[in-house]
Amino acid sequence: MTDVIGPPPPFDPELAAAIAIAGEKMPDIGRMLARGGDAVATARALRDEMADFLLDPDADLTRDGAFTVSEREVSGPDGAPDITLLICRPNNAPPPVGVIYFVHGGGMVVGDRFTGLANFLGVAEELGVAVVSVEYRLAPEHPHPAPVDDCYAGLLWTVEHAEELGVDPARVVIAGGSAGGGLTAATALLAKDRGGPALLGQLLLCPMLDDRNDTYSARQMAGVGLWDQTANQFGWSALLGDAQGGDDVSPYAAPARATDLSGLPPAFIDVGSAETFRDEAVEYASRIWRAGGIAELHVWPGGFHGFSGIVPQAAVSQAAGQAPRAWLRRILAD
Amino acid sequence: MQELVGRLARVDPDAGAAVKVIAYFDRLVEGRAGLEPIVRGAAVLAGCAARLVDEQRRVQVRIDVHGRVRGDIGLPDPDWPSAPLVQDGPPVLWLERGGPAGPVDAMVLERAAAAARAVLERTRGRSKALEDPASVEVLFDAAVAAQTRLAIAHRLGIAENAQVRAVALINEVGRVESADGASWPGKRRSTDRRAGIGPIGDVVDLPVSWSGARTALRFTAAETAQDPGPRIVHADQLGGLAVLADVIGPDTDPVPDVHAIERAKTDAPWVLATLVAVATSPSLRTAATTLRVHHSTLQERLGHVEHVLGWSIRDPQGRLRLHLAIAMWRLHQR
Repeated sequence: MTDVIGPPPPFDPELAAAIAIAGEKMPDIGRMLARGGDAVATARALRDEMADFLLDPDADLTRDGAFTVSEREVSGPDGAPDITLLICRPNNAPPPVGVIYFVHGGGMVVGDRFTGLANFLGVAEELGVAVVSVEYRLAPEHPHPAPVDDCYAGLLWTVEHAEELGVDPARVVIAGGSAGGGLTAATALLAKDRGGPALLGQLLLCPMLDDRNDTYSARQMAGVGLWDQTANQFGWSALLGDAQGGDDVSPYAAPARATDLSGLPPAFIDVGSAETFRDEAVEYASRIWRAGGIAELHVWPGGFHGFSGIVPQAAVSQAAGQAPRAWLRRILAD
Repeated sequence: MQELVGRLARVDPDAGAAVKVIAYFDRLVEGRAGLEPIVRGAAVLAGCAARLVDEQRRVQVRIDVHGRVRGDIGLPDPDWPSAPLVQDGPPVLWLERGGPAGPVDAMVLERAAAAARAVLERTRGRSKALEDPASVEVLFDAAVAAQTRLAIAHRLGIAENAQVRAVALINEVGRVESADGASWPGKRRSTDRRAGIGPIGDVVDLPVSWSGARTALRFTAAETAQDPGPRIVHADQLGGLAVLADVIGPDTDPVPDVHAIERAKTDAPWVLATLVAVATSPSLRTAATTLRVHHSTLQERLGHVEHVLGWSIRDPQGRLRLHLAIAMWRLHQR
């Protein structure tokens, strides 16, 4: 059965109003990609273009002294360089504390361990848990499996050094948004399949899961929002090269390719109804349920990709911000 | 919990600020956003808390600078920049910031108030406004600025280009009727009551129509045996009689012909009805039919009443004198 694809669902009015006045504050990924050229040069141009957008120079990672922030160079995957972990430990909670292992977003091609971290620190402070943010290698310079292997290596190190970090290895939640959501799901799959650390949960915010990039929502939202089908194509091609969309893509690159979603830690999945990733996010939740697993799914009406971060004041953004907090509070509760 | 940290929020007072503010609220109105998003828009764009308090409609919304709904609503500070819902009305929207409103603040207040007005009209304003006779009366008041009257007409749902007339009633506030049959307040047209109908014209000319309607009302009667005459009088059919209305009233001295009417009226119960029928009928035969008496009976009665009056009412001159006398007699009543 093939459904007719209508126009994109209308943006929530408050989101639409904010976008209407965004002007040059919104990075124009489409324009960057339209220039063509080789993938590495394009990715570097994107990193320059989006640097201001993705980084909050005023972010205080200590949250006014609530956290002790340090960085560690730790062993990477076998035969690969070391990776950097940014470690934020709460000062007012006695160890061992729970930990959110954070994987930043950026379409597999941009961002770093600071991207989007400040907001996770807010909830971590509320919950009295630590945050560890992994600096994984980016595509296209480092295609699959470099990014996910780095994420997994950082997770292993964190769990193995739990005592040293003052964290509880039994209370680890892995979390990420967008490409970070995809890598989070992939890392959870790796942990399951390799008999790695048992995770309390996986938090997948508007996750990038499916390299085939041809869902109804991907086609419906072509040309819409920050990360449309064209941008998504670039991200997946950067990660997978010619293998993208083909028959031989690993589920650890694109978790939507996994054939067995049983035995995964409880998932929190959210997505906007007006974004590329809508259908793959919904499908992933459905397949977890089908496999007998636990998932909480939120589809925020009229939300475009990254809406809750870009327009945090909107009512729908506030609701979208509260839902994962409530979920984290539940699963991290003692 | 946001993945992206680029924030679309406060509008800087640059050259494009006004355009942005207008675009923002236009999109909210287009999206049929409610009061809360509008007040939130004011708060976020102005960079301070904002509140909307409409005592009349018992509506209050307060939003802090982060877009969160706040219940703690005290009295507004008189120094805060504010805006009314309608021109010259009481303030309903405030920016919670001391000092005079800057150019962006003023624009935010103006656009937010306009957007809020549209919502209130749509959701709870119109029906209330229709039942609010005071609003209608303002439309008749030439001392109120034309812009204000137009704004109130708009609030009442009267189109700016509507053709309307004022209707004056006994012991009731006036009404506005449109050429297409609508009526404010309420839906009922006033065909069953004594009514003076003003000339039809533009909304801004309602004070003129109202003046005509009030004059016309003074020429109306209860259309009973005790008070015979037309229940409904149109101002634009009064002709020169309207001039009489300006110089004759309850406090002016009656001319002898008015005394004559008074005298005749008390002479017999049928006198006044007979005089009115004779004055307003094309012939004595028609008058007899109207009075439901035989033609000869009427002739008999006229002989009697002419004696009391002191002049003949069976010739054109005498009938004009009678008509004027009845008109003046009525004008002395109210």
